Amino acid sequence: MTEKKVGFEFRERLNKIVGGNHHNYCYQCGSCVAICPAARFSDDFNPRDILLKTLLGKPEELISADSIIWKCTNCYSCYERCPQDVRPVEVIIALKNICAEDGVLPPNVDKFSDTIAKSGRSVVMTSTVNRRRAELGLPELKDPPLNELEILLE
Amino acid sequence: MMDAGRHPRIKMLTYSEIEEVTGYVGNFKARIRKKAKYVNENECTACGECAKICPVVVPNEFQMGLSTRKAIHIPFPQAVPSAYILDMDNCLGNNPIACGKCDDVCDKKCIDYDMQDEIININVGAVVVATGMDVYDPTALDDYGYTRFENVITSMEFERLICSEGPTQGHFIRPTDHKTPKTIGFIQCVGSRTQDPERGNPYCSNICCMNTVKDSLLLKDHYPDIEVKVFYMDIRAFGKGFEDLFMRSKEAGVMYIRGIPGEIEQDPKSNNLKLMVENTTTRQLEEHDLDMVVLSVGVIPRKDQEVVKKLFSLSSTSDGFLMESHPKLKPVDAPTGGVFFAGCAEFPKDVKDSVTQASAAAARAGTLLSAGKIKIEAITAVVDEEKCKLCGICVRVCPFNAIIFDKATKQPAHVIEASCKGCGTCSAECTFDAITMQHFTDRQMYAQIEAILSDKPMEKIVTFACNWCSYAGADLAGLSRLQFPANARIIRTMCSGRVKDKFVLHAFKLGAPIVLVSGCHFADCHYIDANRWTQKRVWKLWDKLEKMGVRPERLQLEWVSAAEGQKWSKVMKACEELRQQVTEEEVQQTIKTLKQEEEKKSSRAKKQPAPA
Repeated sequence: MTEKKVGFEFRERLNKIVGGNHHNYCYQCGSCVAICPAARFSDDFNPRDILLKTLLGKPEELISADSIIWKCTNCYSCYERCPQDVRPVEVIIALKNICAEDGVLPPNVDKFSDTIAKSGRSVVMTSTVNRRRAELGLPELKDPPLNELEILLE
Repeated sequence: MMDAGRHPRIKMLTYSEIEEVTGYVGNFKARIRKKAKYVNENECTACGECAKICPVVVPNEFQMGLSTRKAIHIPFPQAVPSAYILDMDNCLGNNPIACGKCDDVCDKKCIDYDMQDEIININVGAVVVATGMDVYDPTALDDYGYTRFENVITSMEFERLICSEGPTQGHFIRPTDHKTPKTIGFIQCVGSRTQDPERGNPYCSNICCMNTVKDSLLLKDHYPDIEVKVFYMDIRAFGKGFEDLFMRSKEAGVMYIRGIPGEIEQDPKSNNLKLMVENTTTRQLEEHDLDMVVLSVGVIPRKDQEVVKKLFSLSSTSDGFLMESHPKLKPVDAPTGGVFFAGCAEFPKDVKDSVTQASAAAARAGTLLSAGKIKIEAITAVVDEEKCKLCGICVRVCPFNAIIFDKATKQPAHVIEASCKGCGTCSAECTFDAITMQHFTDRQMYAQIEAILSDKPMEKIVTFACNWCSYAGADLAGLSRLQFPANARIIRTMCSGRVKDKFVLHAFKLGAPIVLVSGCHFADCHYIDANRWTQKRVWKLWDKLEKMGVRPERLQLEWVSAAEGQKWSKVMKACEELRQQVTEEEVQQTIKTLKQEEEKKSSRAKKQPAPA
């Protein structure tokens, strides 16, 4: 038998992050799972379970690079459906932020943030994009102000 | 209802509305509009010939629109009096050339197309408000598809479909193909227990769990082969015998699945329904194919409750239901004297609880009436008729309508002592000091303020706390051994509404660094809404202080309930912090300004000629 104890430290840490404080209201009805497209296709992704683990204050299974929280598609269906205004997706985003603070991001997320920091875009610009835009009569995309972005990221 | 209708000492006025109520406990005068039924209810034998011949067919409201009725009808089979009623909005008989068929067939000639509403004036001693509730409309919950899918029905519609007097004579069928469904699902907590205002109400509606348990047993009794699934998050079987019924339902083979479905989808061909649900006990995502879904809808306050609230000056709690005089000790009494509650008007409850409360309300009203006299609190307001300038402010602010004043007759305001509860708002608002609050007179209040500030005023926090919430909250803080600064001096008033602006200014004039006014939370006020006037008064005072160059922060306003000892201690600590920031010079400056103001006022009063 493992020791049964609620980790209030972790819950307090989560409460301080925008969106994370809503986890307290969850009453485990499971309507987020019923509406979740990710849960339909992945056996181990379960937003209710994530919320349960936050309520019990068990970060071990959530805060890691291969945690199930990275399977969330950010579709906001659970946000719409939740009767208790828990906003599961925002709690998951808060958990991801904790992962970033602790430096346990999955490699692809790390790469992705690097791309944004270097180019100022989430999708890398290539000459093909501008050619296609010219064909469609759209103005050419200019380089985003990287110096401003640097300040923002700091 | 039949028994009540037959009782020699009960007079039942059906299809009637109260239009106006005046007076007070023991002496209410009610004006009632008895609406025209267009059928003489004493003569009608309910033979039904008229309904047979009536050509107008409209949806039957009692059967939730699942069947039809005629323009002349009996609202429901057990209606009292057992007489027909003509729905004039749909009747063609206004013009006898057009129809008039019912009148032709009526042997007793009891139909009168020209019947008028009747106004009845009665005097009553006590009133029981039993206006009931409405049912939540789940149309707004788009994911359940109510009204989009015909086979999704509410528990009210289910009740009609399974009733032997219902539209199908008790044969349970589903709306699309009129066949008995093989699988049926119940979804619980529809419109209840949600923090999202678009999805319903935050409270538990109390009755839907047991209603579903009962419904599932009814289905299993009539159709043992039917597969019944209940999707729930908690089954609240809390009453006497409820757990037994829940067990019986489980034994009968009803499947209870812990999990709330996400979305209902309909198969366009078969009209069958499909839903996804996580069975939270097994952690499995399940797909259920159902022939029919019943939404177990919650209960909401009546839509026309505002009318009743205005008639008897009642207020409601944050859930929208009517507020009792005290949630634990006076659960059937309204804050207005002589008014009592029974049933769901106060909060959703089942039959047993409604009967219990109705019996209590009848007993409370009986006690009041049989004594013929009532004992009232000694704390009431008294108007000094010579000082009264007929401005009418007291009448406007009184939460109990206990002050009478008629501008036309130029009679000074008069307090009905039986209605007065002693909050003191009138006395605080009266600009001419014409109203004395007995036992909390202005003199007593000034004396207390002076006593507090006679010695080392700079160290004191003058605190006004209302008797019911803040004073009790301070008491609790003490009893719970919570630490808070000991330099607060509390002046008890019955309500924060008693705190006159002059009291606060007087305290500042005597050198008070901080003044705190504390009362009950809104909708918690024991004098309906007297603390709203406190708030308005403090807002005005803040403006005034600012104009005089006094920092408004030195007057604090807080709402602390009797259960909030913790909050009291926090508020006191905050006040102490504020007090330490107030300097001696600041206080002296305030005293100087206030004295100058006073001099200005008195010289102005001298200049004005005395009224003739």
